[in-house]
Amino acid sequence: MAAPAALPQLDLELRDIRKRYGGFTAVDGVSLQVPKGQFVCLLGPSGCGKTTTLRCVAGLEEPDSGDILIGGREVTADPPWQRDIAMMFQDFALFPHMSVAKQVGFGLEMQKKPRAEITRRVAEVLGAFEIAHLADRRPSQLSGGQKQRVALARAMITEPRILLLDEPIGALDYSLRETVMLELKALQKRSGISFIWVTHDQNEAFSLGDQVVVMNHARIEQQGRPEEVLSRPRTAFVAGFIQGNNILRGQAQGARDGLLDIRTEDGSFAVPLNGRAVPAAGSPVSFSVRAERLQEAAADELPNRISLRCTLVEYFGAYRRHVLETRSGATIKWDQFGALPQSVFAGELVTFGWKAEDGVLHA
Amino acid sequence: MHWKTRSRLTSWLLGIVTIGFLLFQWLPMFTMFLLSFAGENGGTTFPMNGVSLHWYRKLWEADLFDDFKPPMLRSFLLALGCSVTTVVLSVTAAQAMRGRFIGSGAYFYLLLLGLMAPGILVGFGFAILTRLLGIEGAWNTTAYVVHVSWALPFGFMTMLAVFNRFDPRLEEAALTLGATRVTAFRRITWPIILPGVIGTALFGFSLSYDEYARTLFTAGSDGTLPLAVMAQLDRQLTPELYAIGTVTTVMSLVAIFLCTFAFWLRSRALRGRPSH
Amino acid sequence: MSSIRPRSAAAYWLAVPAGLWMLAAVVLPTLLILWVSLWGGQSVSPDNPITFDNYARFLSNGSYRALMLDTLAQAAMIMGITGVLGYCIAYFLTVKVTSPAWRTALFLAFVIPFWTSTLIRAIAFVPFLGVNGLLNQALLAAGLIEQPIQAFLYSRLGVSMAQVSLYTLLASGPVVYMLNSIPPALREAAMTLKASPFTVFRRIILPLTLPGIVIGQVLVFLNVLADFITVTTVGGNKLAFLGNLILLFYEGSQIRATAVVSVLLMAVMLAGVAVALRIVDIRKVGG
Repeated sequence: MAAPAALPQLDLELRDIRKRYGGFTAVDGVSLQVPKGQFVCLLGPSGCGKTTTLRCVAGLEEPDSGDILIGGREVTADPPWQRDIAMMFQDFALFPHMSVAKQVGFGLEMQKKPRAEITRRVAEVLGAFEIAHLADRRPSQLSGGQKQRVALARAMITEPRILLLDEPIGALDYSLRETVMLELKALQKRSGISFIWVTHDQNEAFSLGDQVVVMNHARIEQQGRPEEVLSRPRTAFVAGFIQGNNILRGQAQGARDGLLDIRTEDGSFAVPLNGRAVPAAGSPVSFSVRAERLQEAAADELPNRISLRCTLVEYFGAYRRHVLETRSGATIKWDQFGALPQSVFAGELVTFGWKAEDGVLHA
Repeated sequence: MHWKTRSRLTSWLLGIVTIGFLLFQWLPMFTMFLLSFAGENGGTTFPMNGVSLHWYRKLWEADLFDDFKPPMLRSFLLALGCSVTTVVLSVTAAQAMRGRFIGSGAYFYLLLLGLMAPGILVGFGFAILTRLLGIEGAWNTTAYVVHVSWALPFGFMTMLAVFNRFDPRLEEAALTLGATRVTAFRRITWPIILPGVIGTALFGFSLSYDEYARTLFTAGSDGTLPLAVMAQLDRQLTPELYAIGTVTTVMSLVAIFLCTFAFWLRSRALRGRPSH
Repeated sequence: MSSIRPRSAAAYWLAVPAGLWMLAAVVLPTLLILWVSLWGGQSVSPDNPITFDNYARFLSNGSYRALMLDTLAQAAMIMGITGVLGYCIAYFLTVKVTSPAWRTALFLAFVIPFWTSTLIRAIAFVPFLGVNGLLNQALLAAGLIEQPIQAFLYSRLGVSMAQVSLYTLLASGPVVYMLNSIPPALREAAMTLKASPFTVFRRIILPLTLPGIVIGQVLVFLNVLADFITVTTVGGNKLAFLGNLILLFYEGSQIRATAVVSVLLMAVMLAGVAVALRIVDIRKVGG
């Protein structure tokens, strides 16, 4: 097969990966490019194909079609043990019969490194991960956080080109996760190793990733920098999956000055096309507005206005969320940050508005 | 070729070994089944010399010397008694283990001992015991005691495994709803462990029904079916023995099938029917 | 908190029946054998002095010593064969067969004979192994041999074949259990750490299934040592192991000699179990 020349600066490239299990399509044409030393998060609900994609990269699954290139080298048919990767598993997959030191040295042993070098490197790495005191323990004698460090040390010691992480902190206590996330991010920057991190937790994805890849139903819905995905969800799925988006659906009307008119049951709204082709008049479209972008009062100056009834006001620590209902019964959320005095109360009828550029048209 | 495809070679090799062994395990039994239907002049090996139910008829119309019906009845009753006793003792012993009483570790090994101790030693030792006590051995007294000691460890281990998987919070829930401990056991625990109990009963029955060594030393003058079979084998191997073998094997298979079916029914009942 | 309170009196009372039963039916008889084996004097009676004469007399007989060694050799051979065979089958059924329906079917085909009579299964080997037996017929038909092989039945070969058939499940079962308790991620983790499949097997799978192998080997060891049914049915009168000797002495009303052989058998078995316990901690297997 004549594949186009690989780009040498890429750590990982996936070209149109497909994988089916019987009648179930797990991965449906996923393509991805990971430049050198990047932190990439695969985000999506369970069963979206993110783990299968990761396992294809590791060589644990064989894609039905498509190419996988690691460091510019085609590895699609290579077994896991011949790929320049390491992997961290969901429940850490520590070998129960090996001490921490033996465990961490396993990868080097497999590379047939001299014993003296293994001993030295293991000591170094155990020190670096602050687990030197656990060297002689078995996995069953470790806490969750310790297991996580051992698993990470075991993977990192081989200095792979890419580290694959499958929900690596999902098994940790909630209180530990934030610290571990910060450490991992710092480690990734320091080491220059590309991280491919699979998670269903958007907080993890957006705070860690240089690039976030949102997947659903075996396909990539959107990929880009976190702020890009957050502020401009490409599809209704992404908008709905990410917290804090209000989604409205309607029919496309005419376009004017780069703005598309959309008629919904709750009024007509102008949404920027952002260079997108004008949809046929009457075709169904959706768009989203972030909950914190809605503006109260001063609504007369705003091009998009909507009448709402407040049904509930909740406090979420850093912000106050108002749940409102449109006349047609759709739910709209409005988030107010900062300790402002409450201005909208449950049961009140209000009019909200938003600037044209705050609307995001979906594909 | 992907490495997973390559590892199929190992699969094939192991598969051939497995299928080969399964054939080796089943073919003798099929040979026996087949030859039990041999004609009147049929011998104990091939050729079959016709097909008939002659040897089954002979089994049924047996004369005094090789009548297998009384030993079969004794074996059946003994197995039934052993099964019931094993269930009661296994459930109480396993329930006691949940109480984590002092000495429960040693108790565990005491029951495990019956699994390790070979029948020939247990049987012989028990024969000495009864002789010293001046008790006459019989299939429904001494043999019964020894049979239960053989089936009990299997039942006990089964029930321990069942209780290990049992969620004690279910009982706690019942207790907080006002049930007494006995009621909680009867209404909550028992129905949930029932499949394990059925398994234990099956163990109790089949281990007793098939036991030879322990019975040989303890059954006294009226033997069980395995003893009668062995005695007949000593006198002469006839297709009649194959007929008996076939009958008992088919009975075992039916029992296993019924139990599996009961498990299946039960798991279906627990899953419940989808509501509309 | 459950339907039984920890350390309650009820726990003790529930434990008593089964405990007493096992004491009376297994422990006490075993101790009695030990006692009887030490009875001296001319007549069989507990009044005679305690002595080791019975042992001295038995062990001084060269053919008995040879028979003991022979029994051990037989056990070792069957352990080896069933160990390899049982591991292969366990590995195939748990790791290689991916279809749940096939796995269940093959597993049932493997296990079901265990619930049928060992005696009947041993007898079934007679028409299978005989001169006109199925095995010879099959080999003749396949053109592998020209004359039926006499040596299958009433020989050590035949006994060994029957024992392999009867005891492979014992060697395999514990391995199946251990293999099932290994999370697939361990195998995968090792592969991503550059271990080839063979290395994964040697460094991860084999050590983790070792307790299962040892327990299976102990079960086979105990069963082959005490086996006399297979030997009498398939081996005819040409062959005898320790179990047959026990029966022979017992039928000859030589109670003390029976006891001596029994105790020796027991000692060998205990030694075997002790060796096994040094290799693995059996208590850890369940947890």
